[in-house]
Amino acid sequence: MTATRTHPPAATAPPLEPPAARPPHRRAGRRVGGVGTFTLFGLPSLVLYGYVVLVPIGISVYHSLTNRNPFRPPTRWVGLDNYQKLLVDPGFWKVLTNTIVITVVVTIAANAIGLAVALLLDRRGWLYNLLRGVFFTPVVLSGVVVSVIWQAVLTDDGLLNSTLRGLGVERPPGWLSDPDLALYTLCWIMTWQMIGFCVVVYLAALQGVPADLYEAAAVDGAGPVEKFRHITWPLLAPALTINTVMLLISTFKVYDHVQVITNGGPGDGTTSTIAFDVIQTGLIGNRVGHASAVAVVMLVFVAVVATIVLRLLQRREVTS
Amino acid sequence: MMDRRRLLAAGGVVTALALLGACTAGGDNGAKGGNGEVELSFLTFETPNLNAAYWDAAIARASAKVPGVKIKKLVAPSADRTSYVKQLDTSGQMPDIMAAISVSGFAQSDKLATFTPTELNEFVWPYVNTIGGEIYQLPYNTQTIPMVYYNKDQFAKAGITAPPKTYAEFLDVCEKLKAAGTNPIVLGGGGKDTWADMYPLTATVATEVYKGNPEWLADRVAGRKTFAGDPGFVKAVQKVVDLAKKGYIDPVGLSRSYADTEKAFREGKGAMYPMGSWFPASADSDKPGFEIGVFAWPTDDGSLVVPAYTGGGLSVSAKAPDVELAKKWALAFQTDKSNLDAIVKGDGAIIALKNYQPPTEMGPVYKATLAIYDEAVRQNAVTTAFSQENGDASLPPGLADKAALGVQDLITGKKTAVEFAEFLDAEWAKTK
Repeated sequence: MTATRTHPPAATAPPLEPPAARPPHRRAGRRVGGVGTFTLFGLPSLVLYGYVVLVPIGISVYHSLTNRNPFRPPTRWVGLDNYQKLLVDPGFWKVLTNTIVITVVVTIAANAIGLAVALLLDRRGWLYNLLRGVFFTPVVLSGVVVSVIWQAVLTDDGLLNSTLRGLGVERPPGWLSDPDLALYTLCWIMTWQMIGFCVVVYLAALQGVPADLYEAAAVDGAGPVEKFRHITWPLLAPALTINTVMLLISTFKVYDHVQVITNGGPGDGTTSTIAFDVIQTGLIGNRVGHASAVAVVMLVFVAVVATIVLRLLQRREVTS
Repeated sequence: MMDRRRLLAAGGVVTALALLGACTAGGDNGAKGGNGEVELSFLTFETPNLNAAYWDAAIARASAKVPGVKIKKLVAPSADRTSYVKQLDTSGQMPDIMAAISVSGFAQSDKLATFTPTELNEFVWPYVNTIGGEIYQLPYNTQTIPMVYYNKDQFAKAGITAPPKTYAEFLDVCEKLKAAGTNPIVLGGGGKDTWADMYPLTATVATEVYKGNPEWLADRVAGRKTFAGDPGFVKAVQKVVDLAKKGYIDPVGLSRSYADTEKAFREGKGAMYPMGSWFPASADSDKPGFEIGVFAWPTDDGSLVVPAYTGGGLSVSAKAPDVELAKKWALAFQTDKSNLDAIVKGDGAIIALKNYQPPTEMGPVYKATLAIYDEAVRQNAVTTAFSQENGDASLPPGLADKAALGVQDLITGKKTAVEFAEFLDAEWAKTK
């Protein structure tokens, strides 16, 4: 018996209406159009990016391999000498440690507080809309403005300590003058400024969580903690990724808060960060070669850490 | 097709213009003014004492004396005008004339024009800050750094009848003030004003080191001395450590900015205020609710020592469009009697020009400061001021900032005197 094929296999079936061959000149025109569009929209951006980002990075890498000091010519090629000096310079390790502490504390604290605030504000009503605006305001202020405000609050004669004295505290803490406290005071100021950013990102993510998941969980008898643990938190994974990576990058390069509030003190390097050290060494101390080496290390460090964290958090997004 | 080409061409032109604009921003030095005048850029800086009105009036007076010059005023974004000049220089925009910058580095790399001794005939100390024997800045102004300004009311309440003459008496005064519940020494240095904490150390280095060896820093530059290896320097540092340990300096005050520190003294939050001779300008013009006295930081044996800095004048870029004209304008600016009177009234300057007499209406704190300085000049008891030096014998760039941070460590007990001295030596070595 021979099976009768009533229909040819789909894979080999001829198309009912083969696509009409486009005239050759139309295809060439589209290619030209693609190149033209790229030239118009892409090339200026690429040229600008190369000019203001890639070229300066290249120049910095080159300077880091020299002893460049604009006030002490001639500039000599020293190879990796600047990098070798960094390895044995306790000052460099101190500013690197400070930077890592600030980055870790601010990233975790801003995420945690931002999430808590977002959960509180994830409701409808004019008051909640107003509060969202209030929490976001510090984000749009410049770091210098925020620093000046907090300096006025936290100096010895500032608002906070004056209030504490008024309440009977004889010797309130030296928020900015105590070397053991100043770094964490800086962390708080930066956290305060970045909370609003985290709140907005988490709120956007919260509003994308389907309500029927919560309803189904309620039917199954889940309480608020279980709902947060098994529904909200896993679905906030993309928001956590965005917040963490953005905070990590922006905090690691902090300069303005340090410059205005503590100038790296109190004491030698107590609150110095890598970016602050680059400016001090390069522009004040004129050691451009050394400062460039620190800048290159900073660039590589941020790129590597940000990439690793991004990969880890993105993996969590997939599994959650 | 034609429209697309036009669009592409327009995009290209905009991009090219944007890049060209980025390349040439601010690079208009030396432009000829409307009437064939030479335009010269002049970098100033503004403080509460030296405000925009002061600079505008002073520029107008100098320009009236030197025809053919059109001044384009620039204002440094902060008091640190030297760093700003470095930034401008890096992008090829060094100002033609600059007020009160630290010339170290600029001079050695031939970025500044030199003044001849003949041009400085009117100046009292023309050679005070020479670099390689050349004069790069007009030394028109002396500032004593520091003198000790004190609250006469708080002294009287603590039973102190006269300012101290010896260091032992000074410690006794501190103890009496502390016992009376008064903070003895007001000191600041918070935020960007770290420099303001240096003055006790500047004073003790003058009394313990520079008094005995005025060439000490030149020896340090030449490698014949080190900070840690000099017992006199370590003793000077130890005096500051002891003042902090005994509670005569309140470390919490380290968070105060310079302005807040002066405010704290004015509000009676401390009895003694080691500060530069610019303080009398505001002390006389805006009197606090108590009488202010002044004395020189005491020495062990009671002899007079006054640390001071002379310089602070204008410098001229070697690449100014007309260097001779720029120098002429700078000299006119710096020697104009009205300009000098204005800075004496506004900033308490002690003018270092021959035959200059300050306005008779100057207040009592200025006159008292000037009297002590004049007496020190008569006794040959003026030294340089540590961390303020200019010229060949000065700290390497950046070291004064490091020293100011180190002083905070001394006051908070994080460094001993020897550790501080070793720290300075280590930081100096890094600049090589």
